[in-house]
Amino acid sequence: MTEHPSGRDTAAEAGDPGLKEDAIGFVDGLIIGIASTAPAYSLAAVLAIVVVGVGVQAPAVLLASFVPMFLIASAFYYMNRADPDCGTCFSWVTRAMGPSLGWVGGWAVATTGILVIGSLAQVAAYYTFDLFALDALRDSTAANVVFTLLIIAVMTTICVLGTELSAMVQRIMIFLQVGALLLFAVVALVKGGALTPELSWFSPFAIDSLNTLILGVLTGVFIYWGWESAVNLNEETSGSATAPGLAGVLSTVILLVTYVLTTTAVVAYAGLQTIGDFEDDAGIFGALATDVLGSPLDKLVVLAIITSAVASTQTTILPASRTMLSMARQGAFPEAFGRIHPRFLTPHVSTIAIGVIAAVWFGVLFPLSENFVYDSLTSLSLMIAFYYALTGFACAIFYRNELTKSVKNFLFIGVGPVVGGTILGFLFFKAINEYRKVDQSYSGSAVFGIAMPVVLGVGLLLLGVVLMVIWRLGAHDRFFGRNTETVDPEVAAGRKLGVAAVPEEAV
Amino acid sequence: MAGSIVVGYDASPGARAALDQALELAAAFGDRLIIGFGVAPPAPVGEEVRAHRQALRDHAEKMTAEALERAQGSGVDVEVALVEDRASSALVSLAAENDARMIVVGSYGERPVKGAILGSTPHKLLHLAERPVLVVPAV
Repeated sequence: MTEHPSGRDTAAEAGDPGLKEDAIGFVDGLIIGIASTAPAYSLAAVLAIVVVGVGVQAPAVLLASFVPMFLIASAFYYMNRADPDCGTCFSWVTRAMGPSLGWVGGWAVATTGILVIGSLAQVAAYYTFDLFALDALRDSTAANVVFTLLIIAVMTTICVLGTELSAMVQRIMIFLQVGALLLFAVVALVKGGALTPELSWFSPFAIDSLNTLILGVLTGVFIYWGWESAVNLNEETSGSATAPGLAGVLSTVILLVTYVLTTTAVVAYAGLQTIGDFEDDAGIFGALATDVLGSPLDKLVVLAIITSAVASTQTTILPASRTMLSMARQGAFPEAFGRIHPRFLTPHVSTIAIGVIAAVWFGVLFPLSENFVYDSLTSLSLMIAFYYALTGFACAIFYRNELTKSVKNFLFIGVGPVVGGTILGFLFFKAINEYRKVDQSYSGSAVFGIAMPVVLGVGLLLLGVVLMVIWRLGAHDRFFGRNTETVDPEVAAGRKLGVAAVPEEAV
Repeated sequence: MAGSIVVGYDASPGARAALDQALELAAAFGDRLIIGFGVAPPAPVGEEVRAHRQALRDHAEKMTAEALERAQGSGVDVEVALVEDRASSALVSLAAENDARMIVVGSYGERPVKGAILGSTPHKLLHLAERPVLVVPAV
């Protein structure tokens, strides 16, 4: 704490002494690592799509998608060390590659956050109807829209009020999530079903077509989205050097085991035919859980999906609003978005803006699109691949003077992020090229002959570029006048803590 | 040695009344007045948390500067303390550290249910504080 007899904060003290060192313990680190990827929701939303796309090699695709994620996480780790703005590519790319690219990166981060909210809330709405056996409501578009919008409104309000669940409730929710998924997987595997698992299911090389693998991995990237938060806890986690690393590693192992085991179980138990029938909605888990576990244990899986989706709605609104806040404070976005509510101390303007845009997006797209979850996930995956790739390259560029100082630097800061960025960049263009053809997409919705997911994903990125140019023409020199930087060698060597992006302004 | 009084200030009408009351009490006891403000962002982890924290700090400085101005000319020895914590625990620890005579806060004058939904600092303080708490309604 700081005390100022003069009543004025001095510049030195305002330059934050670093996050509280004992803020987060090992278990919390573990919880955050798992919670930020929302495994139950991710599987519910993605599983049918991946299995329909690649067949029995679905587990292999999930393993393969982890590779670029792992490489990019290394970029997140090192960029976070240099500029501990805790994990978005806006300030990093701005520093490494200039304000224009940084702006578009920040835009991509904020919009992906905004766009997934509708999908999260809709999965929560769908499964809530399912939980109470309200089949008529579950299958009604109108009921889904109304309930989803209600969930978005409530979660936005909660974010404005700054209400937090207690750490204990969060822990219980995560254990419920992982526990329910593993229970489902183990019981399904023991019972046996349509197919017997084979070793080749886990080998990406057993997939016959490269295109299939690529499209599968793009979707797979979505399920690991958020996982990089686990490596970003370095500074905030107690127990200094070992605890955060260990929490990161362990949460990753748990995540991988849960994903691969559940996918294997679903494929083996249901067989490809049954899963194929589910490609159009995210309801596969509800139906299979009843089959595998029977009542009332099946409700546990449904409950896990609902809590996962609802909790993620909140953990998505929050960072998106903070990215807007950060952009506004650096002069990259209208000032109003940087406003803080005097009572709740939250960035209420940006939070409400995000809730409203998410609601409008959902309200317009859901009735328009034949498969909302599918379409928005594909466009999200495109945008995620875009900003992850950008971060990977930004890392190597930012650290370019340090790369030759040690083998470790060269591999983890240079080669890893660049390879990860290249893979994701390749996926990005390849996927645009594939998905562009309407017949390649499951959903069939199209605008001007281009499939919906590409229209949305690429369209939003282009909109970002246009808005950036408009903002730039408005002569916001404080932001656009900034020069690119490289990492401070002292920070790179770990002898000094990095500082936040913007030097303290005069108050 | 003179004691001290801790007052929470967020520029709401209740907080202004609390500040005036606290100034009066501090003058009567010959106490020091500490204007406290918690600057921890809700949900302290996640992306861009630092931007949020910095924004809070700027906001806090504006608020407390306003409070200082209000306290000018009262003859009371006033200081400002920004604490990295949520409002209620910030005031509690500030009072403990200074061995304050009491904590003074303003109320929003809300019905209990509304206060419970929105989060009521005075209500939390009444349970957490290890010393007297004076809650001042807006005039």
